[in-house]
Amino acid sequence: MQNNQEIQSKDILVKIRGMSFKRGTRVIFENVNLDIQRGKITAIMGPSGCGKTTLLRLIGGQLRPQAGTVTVDGLQVNHLSRKALFKLRKRMGMLFQTGALLTDLNVFDNVAYPLREHTDLPDSMIHDLVIMKLQAVGLRGARHLMPSELSGGMARRVALARAIALDPMMIMYDEPFTGQDPISMGVLIRLIKSMNEALGITSIVVSHDVAESASIADFIYVLSAGHIVGRGTPQEMQQSDSKWVRQFMEALPDGPVPFHYPAADYDEELLSGNGHG
Amino acid sequence: MLQSKFIETVVGIFIAIGLAALLMLSMKVSNLSSLTSEDGYVIKARFLNIGGLKVRSPVKMAGVVIGRVSNIYIDEKSYDAVAELTIDEDFNNIPGDTSANIYTAGLLGEQYISLAPGGEETYLKEGDEIKITSDAVVLEQIIGQFLYSKAEGNSEGDL
Amino acid sequence: MVKLGQLSRIPLEVLQTLGRYGLDFFERLGRGHVFMIYVLMGFKDVLQRWQLVVIQIFSVGVLSFVIIVISGLFVGMVLGLQGYNTLVDFGAEESLGVLVALSLVRELGPVVAALLFAGRAGSALTAEIGLMKTTEQLSAMEMMAVDPLHRIVAPRFLAGTISMPLLAAMFSAVGVLGGYFVGVGLLGVDDGAFWSQMQDTVDLRDDIFNGIIKSFVFGIAVTWIAVFEGYDTVPTSEGISRATTRTVVNSSLAVLGLDFILTALMFNK
Repeated sequence: MQNNQEIQSKDILVKIRGMSFKRGTRVIFENVNLDIQRGKITAIMGPSGCGKTTLLRLIGGQLRPQAGTVTVDGLQVNHLSRKALFKLRKRMGMLFQTGALLTDLNVFDNVAYPLREHTDLPDSMIHDLVIMKLQAVGLRGARHLMPSELSGGMARRVALARAIALDPMMIMYDEPFTGQDPISMGVLIRLIKSMNEALGITSIVVSHDVAESASIADFIYVLSAGHIVGRGTPQEMQQSDSKWVRQFMEALPDGPVPFHYPAADYDEELLSGNGHG
Repeated sequence: MLQSKFIETVVGIFIAIGLAALLMLSMKVSNLSSLTSEDGYVIKARFLNIGGLKVRSPVKMAGVVIGRVSNIYIDEKSYDAVAELTIDEDFNNIPGDTSANIYTAGLLGEQYISLAPGGEETYLKEGDEIKITSDAVVLEQIIGQFLYSKAEGNSEGDL
Repeated sequence: MVKLGQLSRIPLEVLQTLGRYGLDFFERLGRGHVFMIYVLMGFKDVLQRWQLVVIQIFSVGVLSFVIIVISGLFVGMVLGLQGYNTLVDFGAEESLGVLVALSLVRELGPVVAALLFAGRAGSALTAEIGLMKTTEQLSAMEMMAVDPLHRIVAPRFLAGTISMPLLAAMFSAVGVLGGYFVGVGLLGVDDGAFWSQMQDTVDLRDDIFNGIIKSFVFGIAVTWIAVFEGYDTVPTSEGISRATTRTVVNSSLAVLGLDFILTALMFNK
């Protein structure tokens, strides 16, 4: 029994315990517990503005929680020194919403950037590695283009090639499907799946695209208003009887997440005739 | 690679132009020798009044700058002003009985020390003092004297 | 009655606003200094990647070259014209060289060059870094375990501080030539007197070195403000435009204020 538990804890790459995070007076997270399993694709879903991207930044150590712990691969991210944090980040990849390619470098140099920064490899070897990564995302032929010449989907694929340049243990995808046409959405889904299967990279996908995320995820968390309101495999989530999860999974306009922004009573406001109340 | 070579070259040209501008400012616009005059030998000159003489004022002989005033202080016993003059090493044959005057360049210009060479065979060397000096002309004193003599003359005429 | 009540409320609001601005100012000032400490810590990295600084000298310095040289020429020519008109009344037009050279190397060279630099290079630096922040490039670098303060900000800061004195020297040198062109070429001031009076009066240490020190300090101030505003940008398009405006306004004010302090320290005998 105890042995079993130990294996289980080793299987967990990211462990968040009792974590609270505030921006000014606004509470983003309150007492959140969350586990990301090693080698699996975990989807974190929730409505816009519920702090999904913030969660990724907390895991990456760009933000620090006011309370609780964020542990990645046995290291407490929120207590690491800058140097140790940077060392850990070399083993993490992150795919930003817009790709966040360095605009003054072309595709090849963008992918080569982390290699040149962190390794002393000779140019010929960097060349081969970059070509391999670009081949993996299908953009070997686009290596001379500048980021401004790429479509949104291509920019994300280049950013993915850059994120896997150092062969990280995990990749965090920030809204990878937003604003994509069906074809490039399909390409990205396939890429995320294949990165996970072929390289065994732990993947965290933050998204509000229910169908796409559910199709690749091994495990799903649903966030709302600073809390985790649902967790489980995609099948479990589809059958969940939680009102929050149902509203989100079935895209209902009104529910626990109200259609109306909190306001004074409608009738009262109309009757009083004073909009500035 | 070609592009970075180009940038390097242009930046090189840019820095060269900047340094050339600095060089032009120091050589053509200012007198570079004013800096090198720091090394030389020091002689002293005593004045009752130095007027507007300042440290780094020029020391001239026959109108040619041969040094600078390097220090000015008060002699604690005699209450004279003592000016230390740093003279260029090239001018090492200033006669011992040379006299020093404080003059003004133009009507409103800055004040400088003018050395008038004497005829002695021995030359001034480090630490020597110039014996014959004449003080700065202070405009207020001249005007005062002029008015005073004028008043005296007038009162005599009245009588 | 109502009026009286409103009146008595106004001073309190004014004081509150003043206090808020004051607190805001000091908060930004403090953050700016902490920011600069981190940037300076990155200089070790920068020395190993000199290439980054060279590229930045290109975009900060070389691209400001044309505006600096043209402005310097015109300022020098105007000085020649105005100075001549004033000096000729006193029969002292031979001193035109002195007037032009002293005005340029002591004041106009460092100050005007720094103001132009703030408008040309400072605003570009802020916009560039602000845009990198808005498009998450800085975040991406951090996640790639590359410190953007060391890799992006430090080379730009260094390039700005190197370029500024060179640009100011070019401004002054071209300005003197402009004054020479107008004074000697057009108005007939004696060629020899123009240069000799200038050389006689302009002092290498008191005037030219002090001018260089001024432009060096201005370079630090302008580039510092520019990179800080860029890094501190609110990541929206409106934020970038506000930060760019702030860079130009704040660095111009800083240059003029610092100029007064430095002048008081340097030329106060």
